[in-house]
Amino acid sequence: SSILYCLLARLSETKVSMAMRQTPLTCSGHTRPVVDLAFSGITPYGYFLISACKDGKPMLRQGDTGDWIGTFLGHKGAVWGATLNNEATKAATAAADFTAKVWDAVTGDEVLTLAHKHIVKSVNFTQDSSCLLTGGNDKIIRIYDLNKPEAEPQEITGHTSAIKKALWCNNDTQILSAADDKTVRLWDRNSTEVVKQLSFDMSVSSMEYIPDGEVLVITYGKTIAFYNALSLDMIKTVDAPASIHSASLHPDKDFFVAGGDDFKLYKFDYGTKEELESYKGHFGPVHCVRFSPDGELYASGSEDGTLRLWQTAVGKTYGLWKCVLPGEFSCLMPNN
Amino acid sequence: MSTLVTLLRLPRGPDPNGRGFDPNSTRFVALCPTTISASTETWTDSVEVGEEQRARSALRESFLRTLIAMTNKQVQFHMYERVEVEARFGASDIDVLNFQVSELQTPIGVQKEALLRCQDVISYSFDL
Repeated sequence: SSILYCLLARLSETKVSMAMRQTPLTCSGHTRPVVDLAFSGITPYGYFLISACKDGKPMLRQGDTGDWIGTFLGHKGAVWGATLNNEATKAATAAADFTAKVWDAVTGDEVLTLAHKHIVKSVNFTQDSSCLLTGGNDKIIRIYDLNKPEAEPQEITGHTSAIKKALWCNNDTQILSAADDKTVRLWDRNSTEVVKQLSFDMSVSSMEYIPDGEVLVITYGKTIAFYNALSLDMIKTVDAPASIHSASLHPDKDFFVAGGDDFKLYKFDYGTKEELESYKGHFGPVHCVRFSPDGELYASGSEDGTLRLWQTAVGKTYGLWKCVLPGEFSCLMPNN
Repeated sequence: MSTLVTLLRLPRGPDPNGRGFDPNSTRFVALCPTTISASTETWTDSVEVGEEQRARSALRESFLRTLIAMTNKQVQFHMYERVEVEARFGASDIDVLNFQVSELQTPIGVQKEALLRCQDVISYSFDL
């Protein structure tokens, strides 16, 4: 019937706009839940995506296609956090084997192992990749100078429960951390003192920092909250239909996406807070979601062990997605 | 009426036989400093390149021959965490990530068949 529709449209020479249905790209390969993911910046070779998985084998993929590039082998436990530097030349991972590791993201070789006293949950590079921030179950934030890896890291104490996420902010002069003690804290890097603190009624499930515009995206319960990253003043909050594990704000700050317990991805208008779309696809809760650096797609990681790439503008030709105009017949249609 | 967006192809999945990071990819070739220090020099230093390559080939060949010589022999493995085990060496995988061994003698018993993670091995020795 869709063929007939196309023929009729052509005959009548009217412009046909077909409502396009989102076709996510499924990246398989992991054998356990995907718990974290991160994009690099835009490099001369495109942009890249790293996924952290409970199978202990974080993977690097081409960001716009999801093509597998390599697997970082070495961790002896679940990998809870993973990140890339802007140029995608270095990767860092945080694992249940009580180590954080730094990798050469071009060769896949392990460059450094940083021993901790408990499960490490979060890793984050400074803009110039010279320092690595780590945080985990021992409640201590550590700053490692990657030019002097033998030196003792600078330690920041204060959290009273396991740290979920620690991120550089404000041009790497400050640090934002979220922990199971239901607080988000802003620290000064030099004094290691708390500058400001937010307290919540429940544990924060995720945190994203947008340097351009200094926006902090926090999720807890069914809420996605947006804060000014410098002042920690609240900008707005939006409630989703289900418990949310992760959210990401589009680089242009017109949309944000969120995913959680009900396996779906939600797309909201940032300005109006209106829920625009919801997409089914994952077979398990969504643990992490991030927009690509160019905003053309967003990636989600799930309990089902897959990563999925979703188009921001459904139907646009980009990466592996092809815009098919009425009257054109494409050979490859995915089975559904 | 809505239509599914079409795909050019599906994303490529992991290679079951290796860990990836193709050394022939554009990015690798452009960004990886060559491990042969001499080959970053000019064409007139090709003698040095040749010498270094010869040394590398000799070392590599020697290592591969030790793997052959080790087959079915009793090998003592000295590993991290003060682990010392002995086993009959079977084979190595292509990336030298794992050694397949038999009759692995451990403090908690003899494992008939086992894989030793090469990254965990500090050194190993055997009698020729």
